[in-house]
Amino acid sequence: MSPPRDADSEHPLLARVLSRRGLLGDVFSGLAGIGLAGLLADDLHGASKESGAAEWVPGRGMTHFPAKAKRVLQIFCPGAASHVDLWEHKPELERRHGEPLPGEEGLVSFQGKNGNLMRSPWPFVRRGESGKAISTLLPHMARHVDDIAFIHSMTSKTNTHGPGCVFMNTGHATEGFPSAGAWLSYALGREADDLPAYVALPDIRGEPPNGKANWSNGFLPARHQAIVLADHQPIRNLERPEGITAEEEADTLDFLWLLNGRHAEAHPGDEELRARIAAYELAGKMQVSAPKVADLGSEPSSIHRLYGTDDPNPLKAAYARNCLLARRLLERGVRYVNLYCASRASGVDGLLNWDAHRTLKPDYERHAPIFDQPTAALLSDLKARGLLDETLVLWTTEFGRMPTHQQGTTGRDHNPDGFTCWMMGAGVRGGTSFGATDPFGRRAEVDPVTVWDFYATALHLLGFDHTRLTYDYNGLDRRLTDVFGNVLRAIVA
Amino acid sequence: MLAPIVRPALLAVALAPILSPAGVEAEDVDFDREVAPILERHCLSCHSTENRKGDISLATADDLFDLDYVRPGLPTESELIALVVPEAEGEPPRMPLKGEPLSPDQVETLRRWIAEGAAWPEGTTLSADEEATWWSFRPIANVEPPDPEGIPEAWRTNPIDRFIFARLQESGLSPSPPADKRTLIRRATFDLTGLPPTPEEVEAFLRDDRPDAFARLVDRLLGSPHYGEHWGRHWLDVVRFGESNGFERNVLINNVWPFRDAVIRSLNEDKPFDRMVLEHLAGDVIAPDDPETAVGTAFLVCGPYDNVGNQDPVQAAQIRANTLDDMIRATGEAFLGLTIGCARCHDHKFDPILQRDYYAFSDALAGVRHGSRVIADEERRRRHEERRAPLVADRDRLNAEIASLREAIRSRAEANAAAIEAGWTRPPVDRTGTEEAFEPVEARFVRLVVEGLDTDPDRAVGARLEEFEAWTVGDAPRNVALASLGGKASGPSRVAEDFADAYSADLTIDGRFGSRWISGGTTLTVEFARPETIARVWLSSDRSGAAGQLGEATFVGEYRIEVSLDGDSWTQVASSHDRRPVNEAHRQKRLFDREATEEEIALLERLSAEVGRVNAELAAVEPLPEWWVGQFHQPAEPSHVFLGGDPQRKGEPVTASSLSALSGLDSAFALPADAPEGQRRLALARWITAEDNPLTPRVLANRLWHDHVGTGIVATPSDFGAMGGTPSHPELLDWLARQVLANGWRLKPMHRLIMNSQAYQQSSSYRAEAASIDGDSRLLWRFPPRRLTGEEIRDAILSIADVLDHRMGGPGFRLYRYLEDNVATYVPLDAPGPETYRRAVYHQNARAMRVDLLTDFDCPDPAAAAPNRASTTTPLQALTLLNHRFTLDMADALASRLRRQAGDDPADQVRLAFALAFSRAPDDAEHEGAVGLIERRGLDAFCRALLNANELISVD
Repeated sequence: MSPPRDADSEHPLLARVLSRRGLLGDVFSGLAGIGLAGLLADDLHGASKESGAAEWVPGRGMTHFPAKAKRVLQIFCPGAASHVDLWEHKPELERRHGEPLPGEEGLVSFQGKNGNLMRSPWPFVRRGESGKAISTLLPHMARHVDDIAFIHSMTSKTNTHGPGCVFMNTGHATEGFPSAGAWLSYALGREADDLPAYVALPDIRGEPPNGKANWSNGFLPARHQAIVLADHQPIRNLERPEGITAEEEADTLDFLWLLNGRHAEAHPGDEELRARIAAYELAGKMQVSAPKVADLGSEPSSIHRLYGTDDPNPLKAAYARNCLLARRLLERGVRYVNLYCASRASGVDGLLNWDAHRTLKPDYERHAPIFDQPTAALLSDLKARGLLDETLVLWTTEFGRMPTHQQGTTGRDHNPDGFTCWMMGAGVRGGTSFGATDPFGRRAEVDPVTVWDFYATALHLLGFDHTRLTYDYNGLDRRLTDVFGNVLRAIVA
Repeated sequence: MLAPIVRPALLAVALAPILSPAGVEAEDVDFDREVAPILERHCLSCHSTENRKGDISLATADDLFDLDYVRPGLPTESELIALVVPEAEGEPPRMPLKGEPLSPDQVETLRRWIAEGAAWPEGTTLSADEEATWWSFRPIANVEPPDPEGIPEAWRTNPIDRFIFARLQESGLSPSPPADKRTLIRRATFDLTGLPPTPEEVEAFLRDDRPDAFARLVDRLLGSPHYGEHWGRHWLDVVRFGESNGFERNVLINNVWPFRDAVIRSLNEDKPFDRMVLEHLAGDVIAPDDPETAVGTAFLVCGPYDNVGNQDPVQAAQIRANTLDDMIRATGEAFLGLTIGCARCHDHKFDPILQRDYYAFSDALAGVRHGSRVIADEERRRRHEERRAPLVADRDRLNAEIASLREAIRSRAEANAAAIEAGWTRPPVDRTGTEEAFEPVEARFVRLVVEGLDTDPDRAVGARLEEFEAWTVGDAPRNVALASLGGKASGPSRVAEDFADAYSADLTIDGRFGSRWISGGTTLTVEFARPETIARVWLSSDRSGAAGQLGEATFVGEYRIEVSLDGDSWTQVASSHDRRPVNEAHRQKRLFDREATEEEIALLERLSAEVGRVNAELAAVEPLPEWWVGQFHQPAEPSHVFLGGDPQRKGEPVTASSLSALSGLDSAFALPADAPEGQRRLALARWITAEDNPLTPRVLANRLWHDHVGTGIVATPSDFGAMGGTPSHPELLDWLARQVLANGWRLKPMHRLIMNSQAYQQSSSYRAEAASIDGDSRLLWRFPPRRLTGEEIRDAILSIADVLDHRMGGPGFRLYRYLEDNVATYVPLDAPGPETYRRAVYHQNARAMRVDLLTDFDCPDPAAAAPNRASTTTPLQALTLLNHRFTLDMADALASRLRRQAGDDPADQVRLAFALAFSRAPDDAEHEGAVGLIERRGLDAFCRALLNANELISVD
């Protein structure tokens, strides 16, 4: 009745997955052909009631049409990373430095009054074959401009960090909605049997504004929430508790299997009980796989140098390790990796994230070096391994910053009316710049883009019609893109 | 008499043969008999006088022809026809949006009517036909319970069973036999109290062979205070009760728990639900000074709201609109089962709710602001003030004495100022860099002792330093403070627990500028790698000058520099005392310190101590109840429709009123624009609970059904609209809704009614042939088995382990560490202690918080209402139940209990454990396995397995 001990004596829970005999065999006999992941896959509760849903079923790895991207890496720089200081060159802003912003002289924004126009403290240089102008603050990222599709005309509907981050991640500015990663988990289910579909890697400096709402499952079933896993933060409750030996664990599980097996036998037809047994088996697989993924020690020193994992700046080294971990997760079949560089608001504006209200120059001279080399290394590494062909990379922030300085400071206030996000990788037309803000960077002027357009495009590359990826909740067929969104064809390869 | 429309008879005659089906003599269309029913059935439910969807009504001739939808005599040019026929083959027509398209015959009738001149009898006003009215808006029917043939005798008594049986029969299903008594007591006990029955309770019930044993059991459970705790939890889900504000700051709200207690108490007292609604919306109006009643309005303000503050007026208006939206939606969904929030930007797409209705509700709630309020009657306030008044007087007198003494010293000092100031020769401190040079001295340690901040001479804590450098002598001086040269910095810092290094002293010796140590004390000490000879220190808070005078770069104003070789004895090598003061406040402070005599200083200290004592006494006066129940202000401006939901685009003015679609009710109301705000909320509450409001009793009856059997008669308990579920047993729902009214809105009689039915007491055994017809048992051919909720799982484990703390009410406990550093962070506890062993309903649920076990098992985030608990299965549940400290502690506690109550014989221990966890005895195989495990691995291992068993968290 007990599974064989030699299966993996260090991992008694996994051993049970490898052996289904005796009672277990009976429990599962009615389920031939359904894999473990299948047992935990989505039911059809949320499937659209619309016609056409008959072919496509959520959670089975199916798409609406052939996909260009199989997985997503989303890099999020919370705090509103300034478009005019990083990505979008504004020569007019340099020329008119110190003059009032035409037409908005008395502008009052999030924190109050604005002063005159303030040029970026850092020059921009043209890089790559595309000749894209990029800030000298980001010398490593400059290597990748030919692979990136910049969207310079992003807009948000809120100027507040928390709702802004949640909006950028869920398509809704209020909490309670599923994040993009949860939607993808719901749409596709998991690829790897032993790892979650969706992983969030918060920064060592803490969680982003609004914290865990950024990787929430919202109203989708709880299994679609991100598992939090970072180099400094292993998966909770993963390890067998200290003091319980492998032998004790094995005997305990034997008895648990006996109890659950008999209980399931007495309850024919109850799929949920079988799913719960399967959940224990998946947990066992995760116990073995997750620590292996997180073990960066197996990477060669050249890779560590590339990423900067041993940089003397501990914040940069920590982020670099998360970048490396992100690659390892993507490699092993995690569908959606949500990687953060910086964290929440703190006692000091711009200290822990990109929110440079008061002192832009020293703030960004701390943040940019943390971000630049490790991110560029991650992108290079993905490319070198051929992973970029199947991975869609999204770079996001919740909104942009004003071209003016905040009155009485050398920083910039929040600007939801124009900012930059970008895409790269599978199916993305590299070396392009879509849309633009006005000559100063104040408002999206050419081809304004919404968060919904952004995700309509991302879903398109993932093989989904965003209007048909729905879940029935409280009276509505809910979508990641609310009731909006157009695919940005211009950046699709 | 016909409406004045010219009748082009000739045209009609010409067209008639073409339009009429071949061989049928075409007669003139009769409006009343043929046309009106089509319009009333298919159009009027959305386009009536009361409910002008899209601002369109088809109720009168004027309405219709004003629209220009009909060209008399010209059906092909009439928009009305174009709307109801498909534009392309296979496409649905544009109208009706809801329900079936018109049949070809019906379209034909309309065509002919128009062709014949579209005559509309004068004075005829159409209204939506009963059938066309959405079911939940219809009056509650007075339904006779059916008496189906072949119904078993036992199923004839309780009317519920007659409805259920009839519906089963219709689907070719038959009910299941009654469940056994062990199953029944476990089911009923979890259902009403959220806890497992004790082995004693099980035995007593098994022994009770009176015919009404189960009814007595239900009565006993309804009398338990745990009933209110468990059903209170259901209601708190519905009203999105949370104890943090959500959004970016997400700080805890520590005085909203009285609402949770009030809900629990109200249920235990069986307070009528209509009274609860009044209290929820207008408790302050009906009893302004009574905390027990006024606490109800916490309902309005216990949802998430954005308090980050926004100077941008457009954004601020949007945030206010969002805040009201939360209240409007909560009100519409919790009481009326209407997703009224969908009418914020436009008329509701599917339900008869106009955009104007949304803003009428908005006007009713426009005076509500988030915040706390003191709730106390005059007498209580007076008594409170009486106790405080003498103490406040003492404090004011002492403060005045201190002020006058300080002023006397200051004016003396000013007279001698010039002489003193002559000694201040060096330049003042400078945030961009301040240097102190001194005679070379050997030191292993150097420290900065802060005596005052540049922003405030009386405070020494809170300086912010970028770098602190200590330079050696010689041609190639080195900054030996640097961490890279082996320097170590120490000094208390402001704490950010989620990122310990955020403000740490290490930042002063990292060689990087811009990030700052924020001191939590007055001293920064740097230890060198080895003794060094130094002659200079340099420090800054803003080398780049970017911060100017901002608080970001608060610097030292007065300080001493001291060195030491051993870290014990210190020598001062420099100070700011001979610098010019950095500002006037510092100058005053220095002069004061020079002038004040010892006696004066002693006196000031004594007076300060007195103030401290008085303040302590004031703090000890029991405060008046100040709870998170909202604040109420008469709105300054009239309310408007916001076009497209945008506060910047004001449409027509609106005032508080009931829903247009129900304007035919006697209870309908509309208030003037200047109605007092409290009266608006009261009017809304009265209308919601009016006898003729068909929604509220139906929604309540359905919630009760939902929470008893797992799925409501309407499966979407907060959405009774077109996008919600359709009722599985519409007649039963109406019958139950009438019972709600008949029982005076009391819940306990309803519980009795439902639980004493045969349907409720059926076995949950699976039958494949029935499942093939009704897989999720909605029709109740069996009692649907379920998994426990997260709260029930935790409470049950605590209860089985005999450590459940039964204390009711009061401030909640926390399964997280709460970190607040401008914004809040919630870190789940690794080892929750006995102070957390209370029922989960007393957990202080914050928004966007994740805690072990509760979150894993689908406890919802109160970011949104959760009328319907999910029950999902994930590997994280397995990991948590296997490995989290809570399981280990509970296994240990259960093991102790087993030893204590069953002795040392494993066989007895196993029997008791099964009775506690599963309310049954083990079978032979289980017994053998359990005893074997105990013998090999100890009792704890057995208990840990038991706490992971599926049976523990399942109810049949």
